[in-house]
Amino acid sequence: MKAKVIGLLVTLSIVAPLLARVPARTAKEPAEGRVRFAPVHIYLDSGDKPLAAYQFELKARTGQIKIVGVEGGAHPAFKEAPYYDPAALLNDRIIIAAFNTGSDLPHGRTRIATIHLQILGDAEPQYELKLIVAADPEGVSFPGKIILEEGESK
Amino acid sequence: MKRVSSVLVVVIGLALSVAALLVSCLSCSDYKKRYDYLNVEHQSLHQRVPESGPDQPKTDGTTAEDAGQKGPSDPQSAMADKSAAAPGESATTAQPRVRLHYYSEPVPRDDGSSPEAQKMEARVYDIGDLLDALAEHPELGGMAGYGGMMGGMGGYGGQVPPGYGQGMGMMGGMGGMGGMAMRGGRGGYHYINAEPPSMSAAEGILADLASVREDEIWVVARPKGEAPPAAGPAYETLGSGAMLAQIQEKKVPLPLKHTDVKGKVSGYIATVEVVQQFQNPFSEKIEAVYVFPLPENAAVNEFIMVIGDRRIRGIIRERQEAERIYVEARRQGYVASLLTEERPNIFTQKVANIEPGKQIDVHIKYFNTLAYADGWYEFTFPMAVGPRFNPPCSTDGVGAVGRGHAGLSGQSTEVQYLRPNERSGHDISLAVDLDAGVKIEEVACASHAIEKSRAGSERLHVQLSPLDNIPNKDFVLRFRVAGETIKSALVTHRDERGGFFTLMLYPPQSLECVKRAPMEMVFVLDCSGSMNGQPIAKSKEAVKRALRKLGPDDTFQVVRFSVGASQFGPEPVAATAQNVQRAIAYVDALQGEGGTMMIEGIKAALDFPHDRRRLRLVSFMTDGYIGNEMQILGEIHQRLGDARIFSFGIGSSVNRHLLDRMAKLGKGAVAYIGLNDNSTEAVDSFYNCISHPALTDVQIDWGRMEVSEVYPRRVPDLFVGRPIILTGRFQGTTRTTIRVSGGLGQSEKEIRIPVEFDRTAPTHPGLACVWARKRIEDLSGRMIIRPYDTNADLSSEIKQVALEYGLMSAYTAFLAVDSTRTTAGDHGVTVAVPVPDGVRYDTTVQD
Repeated sequence: MKAKVIGLLVTLSIVAPLLARVPARTAKEPAEGRVRFAPVHIYLDSGDKPLAAYQFELKARTGQIKIVGVEGGAHPAFKEAPYYDPAALLNDRIIIAAFNTGSDLPHGRTRIATIHLQILGDAEPQYELKLIVAADPEGVSFPGKIILEEGESK
Repeated sequence: MKRVSSVLVVVIGLALSVAALLVSCLSCSDYKKRYDYLNVEHQSLHQRVPESGPDQPKTDGTTAEDAGQKGPSDPQSAMADKSAAAPGESATTAQPRVRLHYYSEPVPRDDGSSPEAQKMEARVYDIGDLLDALAEHPELGGMAGYGGMMGGMGGYGGQVPPGYGQGMGMMGGMGGMGGMAMRGGRGGYHYINAEPPSMSAAEGILADLASVREDEIWVVARPKGEAPPAAGPAYETLGSGAMLAQIQEKKVPLPLKHTDVKGKVSGYIATVEVVQQFQNPFSEKIEAVYVFPLPENAAVNEFIMVIGDRRIRGIIRERQEAERIYVEARRQGYVASLLTEERPNIFTQKVANIEPGKQIDVHIKYFNTLAYADGWYEFTFPMAVGPRFNPPCSTDGVGAVGRGHAGLSGQSTEVQYLRPNERSGHDISLAVDLDAGVKIEEVACASHAIEKSRAGSERLHVQLSPLDNIPNKDFVLRFRVAGETIKSALVTHRDERGGFFTLMLYPPQSLECVKRAPMEMVFVLDCSGSMNGQPIAKSKEAVKRALRKLGPDDTFQVVRFSVGASQFGPEPVAATAQNVQRAIAYVDALQGEGGTMMIEGIKAALDFPHDRRRLRLVSFMTDGYIGNEMQILGEIHQRLGDARIFSFGIGSSVNRHLLDRMAKLGKGAVAYIGLNDNSTEAVDSFYNCISHPALTDVQIDWGRMEVSEVYPRRVPDLFVGRPIILTGRFQGTTRTTIRVSGGLGQSEKEIRIPVEFDRTAPTHPGLACVWARKRIEDLSGRMIIRPYDTNADLSSEIKQVALEYGLMSAYTAFLAVDSTRTTAGDHGVTVAVPVPDGVRYDTTVQD
């Protein structure tokens, strides 16, 4: 009996420190699902107008997001990764703008950008997307329709 | 009970044995690793020996006999023997064998006759045995050399004080024989010269050496009184690529495939785009880590990750936050990249989850202003981070370790270097378009082979020759334009944030007519191991020329430093012909070895009493390969007094951040002497600069302009041939005249500069970033001066400016994550780089 007890104690003395380290290690790592990455795609419908320039603002009304990358759109005119205003980013919002002076410009609905996000917490973020301006090659602004579609990681 | 006790004893005994085994494994892990590495190298030597036979010309153009020593009596037969495999072994798969020959200390004879060295021989079968043999014979001081193209591991030895082992890695533990010299190899050998105990004994042993069969380590006696043969150029370029081409270098698969650099120079502002192409040559996915240099004044404001035809713009974030996001993205399997700043001129690029066979490019864009001196503009693109020395106990330095030895240096930033016989596939292409605004009269590039094509008198296209595409030295392009200034010294930019300007302020011509006051000239030579070879030879050349130029009213001192400092005399001496000759002899005898305790050099150069009748000028000659820049700059600030610092950066990839800052803090100037540059020109230019008094206490009246936040805050003194660049913000539009006034000896001088802050002024879109970068530099400078001032939250200010202008800084980082898909599996690979041209791997890199 004593031998069993001592054997058990020896085993415990070896195994216990190892077991104790496991939760400590995992505690530092964010739980899967609480921190995730996902894209949101931004579409702009210019109707029958050729789209030459745009500027929009995006922020999360609820939920916690961090912008981790900005990608260009589908049409070759807006394929280049658009610029963002770093000063706006300080206030947890992003202002993105792009223009193209070429003749091959998109009409109708087109994806103008993809925003890569880190989403923190379980709550689904609610976004606030505002088109600041959309303009044609003459520099004349028009009331385009801006749409956000949430993407998924494959 | 007895059984229980015996079981217990067995269990406890077993547990203790396992624990002891574990402890011994852990404590020896580094040692074993080092063995493994050496053995691998040694095996490759077996493969090389037959190919590099005796007919191969010696790289330094000399023979062992030339230096008065005899090599093997029949080198050819020795080589033939060497190439023959031992019984039962093939030539390419033989187990490594090493034979060591050396002398003991001379032992006095009982009969009173001259002592003779005793020849000793140890036959050993692996490097571990060799090290053990060396440990048994401390008279050798360490591992003196190693057969094959390893080139020996001498160098730092001798001067390494106790307790340096940890800080200096292998240098402390394996210090070589102080004072020995090495020669270029002959078909895979290296001869190590050491002071001989007696010539006759040496001859006998040399004859013995001819009969050895295995790869060897030879410690060869050198006749007493004979100067050690100079290290040949081939040896000095170990690790630089030039040498590698001669010995069938081993290609090391690494993820950095190619770097492409495209620069556009408009006036004196450069816009540079750098593309780093990472490709995974392995069968599983990897994380690539690459430590690389950029100009110290680069305002990095763009970062794009390219995956196939998709381009993801990186986001500037507070550094710790960016690092956290990157780690999480990497953990979850997303392709991600992170750019951080370790020093203003050293950056780390990390790219996570590169899948096998896939390529990911990273685009970086920056703006910077060009340096100008004596009529020449200078465009510089650094290509290599020199191996830095870190003082003992420091952990936030920049470590230099051999490939595969991550973590060995214990420093927060670490550069992995390719070994001398290794080469990665990484190459570089570089092109610069110059638009000077006026006729470009002359272009020079001493660092690299270039191809030029003109596009009009004011424009020039320059590109790196494809034959010179190994990134192991800084690209330095100089160009001289017609007249004394470029078209316009004032450049402006306006956006929604307001107006920004840079103004190049030229010293008044009248300065050249006035002669200087007597000087107290202090030359400070870096004699550390990284300076060994060509760099210290250039330093000596420069100092000797400068000494000869001193006037009869001047005094001088020469200080040398490595692990400690010493000087020519107890105090500065008059520059008489006799003293100058003595000083030249002193300089001639200096050699590069040991660590870089620059702090000792600074103390020695600045801490002695100042002769008030003379202007004290302190001239540092160094490559700046240290990791504790902040500490050095802080010491200079504290000890400077009335002295002025004129730094010379010597070498192919010097630490320009340190040298520029030293000169700025020291209210002086900086010049760079590359290994291919003429040091005479640099010294003459320096003398031209100091031969006339500077315009001091400079004040600027901006006239009707509303100017604010101009950097540098305090306008430095204006020296002949050295304009300064002022960068600031302005409001409104007007034409006005700027009045620059300052003291010139006992008198006052004023110069007037008409400027047009209106729509006609040349513009540059990068000026806002250039200004923000200057502001960050100013704030960083204040951190050096007031390191303990907790009231000023300078780091927060730097972070705020960097985030607002989207710039890299020590407190911000660029991050890009592709959130559209994840990958599976992971392991890390660090990009190893060649040591800079002219720098010896064996004396600078921990391995």
